[in-house]
Amino acid sequence: MLSALIWLPVLGAALVGFWPGLSASRARFLALAVASSLLVWTVVLFSQFDISNPAIQFSELFPWIETLGLNYHLGVDGLSLPLLALAGILTWIAIYSSNESVERPRLYYALILSVNAGIVGGFLAQNLLLFILFYELELIPFYLLIAIWGGTPQRGYAAMKFLIYTAVSGILILAAFLGLAWLSGSSTFDYKAIITAGLPLTTQLILLTMLLVGFGIKIPLVPLHTWLPDAYVEASPPVAILLGGILAKLGTYGLVRFGLGLFPETWALVAPGLAIIGAISAVYGALTAIAQKDIKRMVAYSSIGHMGYVLLGAAAATEISLIGAVAQMVAHGLILAILFHLVGVIETKVGTRELDVLNGLMSPVRGLPLTSALLVLGGMASAGIPGMAGFVAEILVLQGSYSVFPLPTLVCVVCTGLTAVYFVILLNRTCFGKLDNNTAYYPKVKLPEEIPALVLAVVIFFLGLQPTWLVRWSESTVAAMVATVQIDNEQQVAAVEAPAIER
Amino acid sequence: MDFANLAAQLNAGTILPEGIVITTLMVVLVGDLIVGRSASRWLPYAAIAGLLSATAALYFQWDNVSPISFLGAFNSDDLSIVFRGIIALSAAVTILMSIRYVEQSGTALAEFIAILLSATLGGMFLSGANELVMIFISLETLSISSYLLTGYTKRDPRSNEAALKYLLIGASSTAVFLYGVSLLYGLSGGKTQLDAIAAGIANNSAGQSLGLVIALVFAIAGIAFKISAAPFHQWTPDVYEGSPTPVVAFLSVGSKAAGFALAIRLLTTAFPLVTEEWRFVFTALAVLSMVLGNVVALAQSSMKRMLAYSSIAQAGFIMIGLIAGTDAGYASMVFYLLVYLFMNLGGFICVILFSLRTGTDQISEYSGLYQKDPLLTLCLSICLLSLGGIPPLAGFFGKIYLFWAGWQAEQYGLVLLGLITTVISIYYYIRVVRMMVVKEPQEMSAAVKNYPEISWNLPGMRPLQVGLVLTLVATSLAGILSNPLFTLANNSIVRTPMLQPAVVSREVGQ
Repeated sequence: MLSALIWLPVLGAALVGFWPGLSASRARFLALAVASSLLVWTVVLFSQFDISNPAIQFSELFPWIETLGLNYHLGVDGLSLPLLALAGILTWIAIYSSNESVERPRLYYALILSVNAGIVGGFLAQNLLLFILFYELELIPFYLLIAIWGGTPQRGYAAMKFLIYTAVSGILILAAFLGLAWLSGSSTFDYKAIITAGLPLTTQLILLTMLLVGFGIKIPLVPLHTWLPDAYVEASPPVAILLGGILAKLGTYGLVRFGLGLFPETWALVAPGLAIIGAISAVYGALTAIAQKDIKRMVAYSSIGHMGYVLLGAAAATEISLIGAVAQMVAHGLILAILFHLVGVIETKVGTRELDVLNGLMSPVRGLPLTSALLVLGGMASAGIPGMAGFVAEILVLQGSYSVFPLPTLVCVVCTGLTAVYFVILLNRTCFGKLDNNTAYYPKVKLPEEIPALVLAVVIFFLGLQPTWLVRWSESTVAAMVATVQIDNEQQVAAVEAPAIER
Repeated sequence: MDFANLAAQLNAGTILPEGIVITTLMVVLVGDLIVGRSASRWLPYAAIAGLLSATAALYFQWDNVSPISFLGAFNSDDLSIVFRGIIALSAAVTILMSIRYVEQSGTALAEFIAILLSATLGGMFLSGANELVMIFISLETLSISSYLLTGYTKRDPRSNEAALKYLLIGASSTAVFLYGVSLLYGLSGGKTQLDAIAAGIANNSAGQSLGLVIALVFAIAGIAFKISAAPFHQWTPDVYEGSPTPVVAFLSVGSKAAGFALAIRLLTTAFPLVTEEWRFVFTALAVLSMVLGNVVALAQSSMKRMLAYSSIAQAGFIMIGLIAGTDAGYASMVFYLLVYLFMNLGGFICVILFSLRTGTDQISEYSGLYQKDPLLTLCLSICLLSLGGIPPLAGFFGKIYLFWAGWQAEQYGLVLLGLITTVISIYYYIRVVRMMVVKEPQEMSAAVKNYPEISWNLPGMRPLQVGLVLTLVATSLAGILSNPLFTLANNSIVRTPMLQPAVVSREVGQ
């Protein structure tokens, strides 16, 4: 059942790449067909999913290389299920919104499909080595996607930077996993078999720090974020959607799954630091976004800020904040996708992304009215206006974290205000004002170009108005996860207090 | 000693694979003499058939009950069988890629194959050599044939330079090795068999003597030269750049595998008393090789030079398994060498094809190749990425196994260094991929612009195509379907009696 989610895109990629004499439009059609069937399959998965069960469902286990402790073990729970849906939607959108006359179409669609396979595999893997395998699998396809189809001549540099950073993050995580499996005396890398409880605290801290840095590069957290603006801005809009929308989620997902999930005892020790880093990321993202002159770069920096909330929610590790973190991952993916897509449309139609040049796109006759309207909507969603998915996620994160980390939470609250600031700047310059008579008469935006944004807008609205559809999937899993953390917290508190009494 | 006893002592059946190789060698030489120039049409295929049947013969020798033969001079245990198989296969693939290359260089193919077969023979005997004289003779067979091969295109001054360099450095390293071996002979009280040496040294209570350490260091110098570990690597870039490319392919896989076989056998059986010392020396070699190989490869502009430094680095990775000194460690070496065989030879086949068609091996000349030759681009990309350890290719599993074994043996520093240098290696491998795949059509290099039409019908091109597709398939699938290879590698170690005491003592020592 789950294997189809991985092998279907792999098969599709192989077909698109190697089928002799496949034309460009056929390749696109085939890729879309694969993405659509994945989406349908994900819906089937949702309908079969038992939301009251916190454990792994639809588990698939085949022995692979047992000498190494590597098994083909897949499974899905409340943490990964929403992300699967996100990956399904965004892959479809990325393929659909790709330029129909994209160069070297077969390689392009094959790479996008293999990226999807790698990321979905990462979400499904229940074996640490298998996770690493999938985690590194998307490295080369993404490198090529940025380097070949990127924007300016700077793309080679951006792609290489992305590659190096991600490779470093991969080896850090691999080293941490090797250490985990070996030190905890487990003969296999199976997720369930690894128990850190018996390890000395220092060892746990070292391993956890390696994991945090590794995933922190991927998310990315300040100060490990420097690859992000380059990669997001240089990548073409569909690739940027995949990068920011789902690839970054592999980092946050890994942080929660392997950081919080495997180190419930030590998490409380690093959590304050993480919360502070999350707050710093939020402030940094918002402030740098305000200073940008390029709308794509602005959206890229806003992404750093929003990932800060996910980190805050994960660090607090209360039930509400964790549900909020999962919701924020999904909401951020959707909102980032709509923004990148619209920025891409504006760039192709107007020919620039400069804030100083763009003006008055809202003009109903000569501008891009529908695009501008959707952009306003995306900006509002990103700023956390109630009624949209972003608001639900942010309020859950902030509410859940306040009791644990009041100060970082307050900082993040301020940042949601700052988010509004830069989106007001963006929307004010781009959409409103007077259209320049000399340059206006932009090409009309055709309906197919708007469809991705319309679909995303509907989903964002729907999840904002009906938030249970966003959060209900992860409730029981998160509750079970939080329970392990809190039991450990209490034990630690007891352990700390006991000697004090003796004294 | 009656005849039956003598026959049992000789146990000549164990060298049946080598016998087949010798027969093939004779067939090649005599066939060339009798039939003349036209024999070159079937000779290479006869040689390949011979090598493959030698491999088949090796298969039937698996789990031989009495592996010791020739009065203890040769040990045909499972470990040697695996290494002999690797060497024979690498020679077979080398012949596949050399047919066209040698013809185009205007030299005689039959002699080339004959020398290559004798090098193979030396490597195969070296893998099982269990006695000092035997080790030396087979090492020299391998070395002298390699010198001849590197200078084979004798009209090319660079080939001459490479041969001379290789000969001079090789001869001195052999001398050093011989000196170390002679010390060993003296310290053990006149023993030449490896297991007797260890006992002899223990009896003479020379276990911690300076002489033994000097013997060890000198022996390692000889081995390190063969596996081109830094700082004994200086010959590698120049020889790789100057020699005929098929020879380089053989040197980087077959000759290296023989060196590793010698390393395992000599160190575990003759030097058990100084295990800590040789581990230490090899740790230093591994660190230097990984760092130097990977870092210097970054700066190369010639493809063959880059592959030379990459092969130094790969030797560094493989040494992690040797240093680990556990069952898993040795097995991971064998496994890595098996996948290295496919991916490295695949890379060299692509380099040969490219230089046959364009006459250059500058990395910058590869730019825009995807437009003209997608198959070559795909194969070279896959092989290089596999060398860089990108999943799901074979190299990833090889590296994971090495690092896993190293980590289990508590070589944390080495494994971390290996991981870090892997990232560096990805950079220079991806540089080539970028040249081929990412460059726009207008950035195409002159060599690629004038790329000849691809035609596999020219004489000698079919074998290249076969080799290309074989290595491509093996490199892409040997990782995902690696269970048989894993089992092979593990069994070759577990069923080798020689390694078992060593492993046990290591585990007790912990």
